[in-house]
Amino acid sequence: MIKLTDINKTYPGAVPLHVLKGINLHVKKGELVSIMGASGSGKSTLLNILGILDNYDSGEYLLDGTLIKDLSENRAAEYRNRMIGFVFQSFNLINYKNAVENVALPLFYQGVSRRKRNLLAMEQLEKMGLADRSHHLPGELSGGQKQRVAIARAMITNPSIILADEPTGALDSTTSRDVMELFRQLNRQEGKTIVIVTHDPGVGKQCDRIIRISDGLIIPDNSIITSN
Amino acid sequence: MRHNKLRTALTGLSVAWGIFMLITLVSVANGITRSFAEDMQNSSNQKISVWGGVTTKPYHGYREGRDIRLKDSDISIINREHKNTIKEVSSELSGKQSGVSTNKTYVTAGYTGVFPSALGLNQLEIVNGRFISDKDLDNNAKVMVLPEEYAEQLFPPDGRNAVGQRVNCAGLSFLVVGVYKGRFRTIYIPYTTARIFASGDNDIDEIILHLNDVSEITEADGIEKSVRNTLAATHDFDPEDNSGVWIWNAISQALTVQSAIGILNIGVWVLGLLTLLSGIIGISNIMFVSVKERTHEIGIRRAIGAKPMKILTQILVEAIVITTLFGYIGIVMGTALTELLASGIGDSMFEGARVDLAMAAQVTVVLIVAGAMAGLFPALKALKVKPVEALRDE
Ligand SMILES: Nc1ncnc2c1ncn2[C@@H]1O[C@H](COP(=O)(O)OP(=O)(O)OP(=O)(O)O)[C@@H](O)[C@H]1O
Ligand SMILES: [Mg+2]
Repeated sequence: MIKLTDINKTYPGAVPLHVLKGINLHVKKGELVSIMGASGSGKSTLLNILGILDNYDSGEYLLDGTLIKDLSENRAAEYRNRMIGFVFQSFNLINYKNAVENVALPLFYQGVSRRKRNLLAMEQLEKMGLADRSHHLPGELSGGQKQRVAIARAMITNPSIILADEPTGALDSTTSRDVMELFRQLNRQEGKTIVIVTHDPGVGKQCDRIIRISDGLIIPDNSIITSN
Repeated sequence: MRHNKLRTALTGLSVAWGIFMLITLVSVANGITRSFAEDMQNSSNQKISVWGGVTTKPYHGYREGRDIRLKDSDISIINREHKNTIKEVSSELSGKQSGVSTNKTYVTAGYTGVFPSALGLNQLEIVNGRFISDKDLDNNAKVMVLPEEYAEQLFPPDGRNAVGQRVNCAGLSFLVVGVYKGRFRTIYIPYTTARIFASGDNDIDEIILHLNDVSEITEADGIEKSVRNTLAATHDFDPEDNSGVWIWNAISQALTVQSAIGILNIGVWVLGLLTLLSGIIGISNIMFVSVKERTHEIGIRRAIGAKPMKILTQILVEAIVITTLFGYIGIVMGTALTELLASGIGDSMFEGARVDLAMAAQVTVVLIVAGAMAGLFPALKALKVKPVEALRDE
């Protein structure tokens, strides 16, 4: 599903910062993986590249067999809309739109009629157990509820992968477990490929596989074993 | 937008004010234009008048300061030489005040000998009977056309029966052939008849050139020049001597007024648009603030699949909606005021000062363009928002 070959990324600036130094990564269809690593190791940078939110300098990124390189803004927007669902630490809901409207928004950019997209959004919220909160604004929801609305929004276009950057970072441990349970469910029952960036070892444990990143490089699994 | 309702409303009001100014000014200008346009269509403008003058330059052995007197013969000379450009050459001959009487009553009135064209040139309206005809001139007929007031006084109570009656004037019996309504209060008789009454010399005061649909100042000026040349040749004065004969070119004057009105119209639009412009800049400003405040939101939208064009149109549409909304508030206020001026004051200048459909359409176009202009730069700024940067921690 995801195949990265020798990805390099440098942030330009007075002192250019070489953040990703040749990432090789393979995530299979239907896998639930987590990316862990120290702060500043380049996890978010990597996830942004996976999400076509940012460009990389060299290497090759294949998403579901499509080469993602030097895309136009329009192409990138279209791929993000159809193939990728995003979940963020800070939820990133639009605060003057209610839950249904937030969940329906990606369909608006596909040109789906208001009636139909609200219907689909409602269905998605029901799955998340939020039917009774559908007309609340984000400000009127708890953190866990907000994150479930965000997951519903990520799921609405039926994307092939879901990318989550510290989805439990702003939640307490109980709520975190609920959200992780939701991800596992989406992975098991709907076969979604899910990549989660996290600091929380508990979150990592619930994934099929943990990818460790350090100083812009992926640490091979065997080296972890040997270092232990 | 949502967060700054007050600021939006205040800025919106400046757009409304701009449109209000535009509408009111344009309406008033339209009113002025229309009242002049009505004048323009009037044949009284298609005229050049010529009077005898005093020379200011020596010429052919004559010294300056010589009186130039127009003669009856000048009429036929101009008629002959300018047949192609002038519809009719005529003159008027005014007599002294004299008594006009029936066997019951009398009035003291002045008379004017005229050609048939005097009817149109003087903007007279015949209320009964007819005006002086060519045949009357040929026959030196003793007929007259009375102003309404005299008809009423001579043939009380209302002068309706005046036509066909006889009156005495200067010891002669005249037949009343018509009654008119107009600006003047003189009795019209045939020019040739008046000529007989006048003292022996063939002097005339004024020659009136009646023209045909002249619509260019240069054409009117050209006719004026060539008539001056003709008269200079007949009366032996320097054609460059502008005071040999006095010429009043009503056409040129009217055309000049017309082009001045054109400039007035442009000026009014410019003024209104400038006022509107300050409103646009205000809208543009709050749109900039709004884009800045919503950078994060724009980032979210971009991340979940909004194409740049969608963001651009969203901002543009917002600006156009705000501008048009407040613009229409201005239109309503402007319309109300001009209607008030048109109906309440009843001044002829405001009679045409109505907001018409064509103008509402023009203003709508102006508003949409204005809104698009107000939104353009903020929208381009919104386009530059990079999703990664906008989404980096709140
Ligand atoms: N837009 C940018 N311009 C310049 N440097 C950047 C930019 N974004 C990130 N960096 C730098 O790149 C490095 C990697 O950042 P990144 O956000 O990928 O780390 P991370 O692994 O997600 O860290 P954390 O666990 O704290 O979220 C950091 O040193 C950061 O300061
Ligand atoms: Mg990070």
